[in-house]
Amino acid sequence: MQELMQVAGDEFSGSVRDEGEKLVVDLRGNADMHAIDPLEHMLERVHADAVRLGSKEIVMDMRELEFMNSSCFKSFVTLVHSAQELEEEKRYKIRLLSNPDYHWQKRSLNALRCFAVDLVTVES
Amino acid sequence: MSDQPLYFELQFKPSVMLVSVVRRFVNDFYSEFLGDPDGTSRVALATHELLENAVKYSVDGATTVWIEVAAREQGNSGGREVRIGLRNRSDAANIANVERVVAEIREIGDAFAAYQKLMMQAAKTKDRFGLGIARICAEGEMEMDCKIEGNEVTLEATTTVEGGAA
Repeated sequence: MQELMQVAGDEFSGSVRDEGEKLVVDLRGNADMHAIDPLEHMLERVHADAVRLGSKEIVMDMRELEFMNSSCFKSFVTLVHSAQELEEEKRYKIRLLSNPDYHWQKRSLNALRCFAVDLVTVES
Repeated sequence: MSDQPLYFELQFKPSVMLVSVVRRFVNDFYSEFLGDPDGTSRVALATHELLENAVKYSVDGATTVWIEVAAREQGNSGGREVRIGLRNRSDAANIANVERVVAEIREIGDAFAAYQKLMMQAAKTKDRFGLGIARICAEGEMEMDCKIEGNEVTLEATTTVEGGAA
């Protein structure tokens, strides 16, 4: 297991680690306007690393993510779209781990899943 | 929980930090008042997104936000209407964008389909505008109304929340 990256905004933090065939992204705190740039930068790197390493899956652990605004959500949309645009053999799956206590996640992550039903799954 | 009507209004100059403070207050307060965790979450989300729009695009910072919860009719175990509004002054470009997005969502007629369409557009550009309003309508299950008077913008999002009787 190797940690690839860490980012932090005001009330937000994220880290990425390489676990063999998958990358695991931990997201914590409050992804508000302060988190837009670090999160966007992180997810761009996640995509690049997933392609470089030949990762089969990216696991996004959002169980400690209290809230995410639409601008940060947009970065996830971009990531999913980037995965869709890859050639089939390079395409990775995206698994979102959610917390049922954060009700917004059920709706937002479902919207992301519907955006790419063949790539995105949600677990709670 | 209460069946009584409730009106809350805040006039301030929101900052990034204060937006989350207000969202958390709305979430905590309405959790107790409404008894509908999903409905409360939707109200808090809409409040956050509207306030962030104000932080980004207000010309003078002055913002009024309000939340109005209708009384539950006697003997009615159904939902109650909630109205979340925000008023501020913005520039012409932002006002045009707001009108465009609200009109597009209304024209498509299906808030979730409009949201997916805007997500696809957003995925291909650096432009972040519009996703917040679409998110309020789709995830918040809200109807959005927009009034423009000069450079003053009033956005009002309406939904129904459940919750048990008092």
